[in-house]
Amino acid sequence: MKGYFGEFGGQYVPETLLPALQELENEFSAAWNDREFRDEFSSCLRDYVGRPSPLTHARRLSEHLGIEVWLKREDLNHTGSHKINNAIGQILLARRMGKQRIIAETGAGQHGVATATACALFGLPCAVYMGTRDIERQHMNVERMRLLGAEVVPVSSGSATLKDATSEAIRDWVTNVDTTYYLLGSAVGPHPYPTLVREFQRIIGEEARMQILEKTDSLPRAVIACVGGGSNAIGIFSGFINDPVELIGVEAYGDANGSHGASIHFGSPGVLHGARSYLLQDLDGQVLDTHSIAAGLDYPGVGPEHSFLSATRRARYELVDDRQALEAFRLLNRLEGIAPALESAHAIGFLEQYAPGHEGATVLVNLSGRGDKDLHTVFQEEL
Amino acid sequence: MIAEAIRTSKRAVIPYVTAGLPDLDATGEIIRALSDAGAAAIEIGIPFSDPIADGPVLQKASHLALEAGFTLDGLMSGLPRWSAGVSAPLIVMSYINPFMRRGMRETLVRLRDSGIQGVIIPDLPCVAAGILEVCRDIGIDLIRFVAPTTTEERMREVVSQCSGFVYAVTIKGVTGERSSIPPEVRRRVQEIKSLTDLPVCTGFGVSTTAQVEDLLSFADGVIVGSHLMARVMDSPDPVEESREVLRKLMA
Repeated sequence: MKGYFGEFGGQYVPETLLPALQELENEFSAAWNDREFRDEFSSCLRDYVGRPSPLTHARRLSEHLGIEVWLKREDLNHTGSHKINNAIGQILLARRMGKQRIIAETGAGQHGVATATACALFGLPCAVYMGTRDIERQHMNVERMRLLGAEVVPVSSGSATLKDATSEAIRDWVTNVDTTYYLLGSAVGPHPYPTLVREFQRIIGEEARMQILEKTDSLPRAVIACVGGGSNAIGIFSGFINDPVELIGVEAYGDANGSHGASIHFGSPGVLHGARSYLLQDLDGQVLDTHSIAAGLDYPGVGPEHSFLSATRRARYELVDDRQALEAFRLLNRLEGIAPALESAHAIGFLEQYAPGHEGATVLVNLSGRGDKDLHTVFQEEL
Repeated sequence: MIAEAIRTSKRAVIPYVTAGLPDLDATGEIIRALSDAGAAAIEIGIPFSDPIADGPVLQKASHLALEAGFTLDGLMSGLPRWSAGVSAPLIVMSYINPFMRRGMRETLVRLRDSGIQGVIIPDLPCVAAGILEVCRDIGIDLIRFVAPTTTEERMREVVSQCSGFVYAVTIKGVTGERSSIPPEVRRRVQEIKSLTDLPVCTGFGVSTTAQVEDLLSFADGVIVGSHLMARVMDSPDPVEESREVLRKLMA
């Protein structure tokens, strides 16, 4: 069925938005087949974002773990995460569609910063919805967005995190659908967003595949990435989807005491924010509150393509909790001189589980973002 | 019969009430009061944790009802009593997820057996999960939306799949009171009417007797939700308040 990955995906939105989604789908497919659009996207990624991002051999971490770890350095992109790839792609699309105003949701603030940056670059007004709980714990990104000229709109409803910020962005979109482009940051939401975001993030996997073949002469045994909504994971997975390579998504196991963000592991199929996918919900279909130390993984849903990859067993999804992510954060600082985002630290943290039994294997980890934004949280945890 | 009830009503006002606020017993009493006050039909809203089509008032109502312990089982046990005791046909409004979670067909059958005559699902524009067939099969009306952005081609499709009445959304946006209703809604209602014999009811943003009056000059019915729920949430006597709100809108 159109807009579905197996039984996942779809367009579960108010009627008002349906024509806008159709328009988006048409424009995206026209743009993606337009040489000029692709060239402009590529040159923005090269000259502004700084792509290709390097592939780093984590030598001391490899020694420590007994496996060969390669890091795809999305943390070195302009604005400090993979989110900028998608923000640039979508802003070019918005401009092509003649939209005059951009809205976005953000959790950790990385997508908000990327969107605000893209809006500054192209001179478009920008409103970013952010949960008040996330505003507290990601204050630096809030200031950055404001500095970039964006309006940060606090959302205090529900759990006051990414889930509620996304709902509020959708409500804004329904209201201002004629003039406004909704620049969704993850591989979630109604069709065509999950596909569109994957295509704009595909560059991660394409580069990484070429780089690792060049450096090691072979494909890695496994590709590992953290999964909240799942945009960095789907971006790197898409480069290896047809290869004999293990694809492993790492979900946030939170406090490991029942409060987490692991939708694929513990959820069941349900509809949130326009798509059917694995969802953390109660027996009445009410969406549950989540917890992760990483704001970007603090989300009860997951992109529909990940649900499909899990259901078809093409990818598997593992758990790393807050404490393990914090340990990984410190470890990568000490051994490699790299501060990962707490989101990406979940992917690093999984290596401790993966290494036993895979001695000598080559693994590729998507280091989706840098950890400067998380220093405050990490220091607080140490108290 | 929902369509019949709207057609025969002199002034078809359809109030929306969030179930479980302040508790389910009160909802039962509110429904009776609304029916006694002359409601053409009554929309019962199932609270949902993430109501993306709702403005602040109905979000708050949903949230408070869930906090107060609303459950689907609780609702299901109240419905047969409520529907037997009132003359106005009862309609259930729910986001798709609670229905899917409990099984689409099972939930719809259970609702029908409890005396519910129609359902409205604000986040199901494409008839997925075979819901259209199920509704026809078991004899429950599926009320569908026509939005300000709906194209003519799509309008034909929606109207052909609709039963009970066609829900014409007055504004681009979420539910909630507005000081004025865009005049284009008149033309849209006329357009829908040229495609179907079903009643066409308008909703979103309606709060005053004058707005009801104006909309009823070309539409068959008017849905009032946020205005009613705002008053219910503010009042020490929600049942009496509901009766009063409706009485005023009917005047």
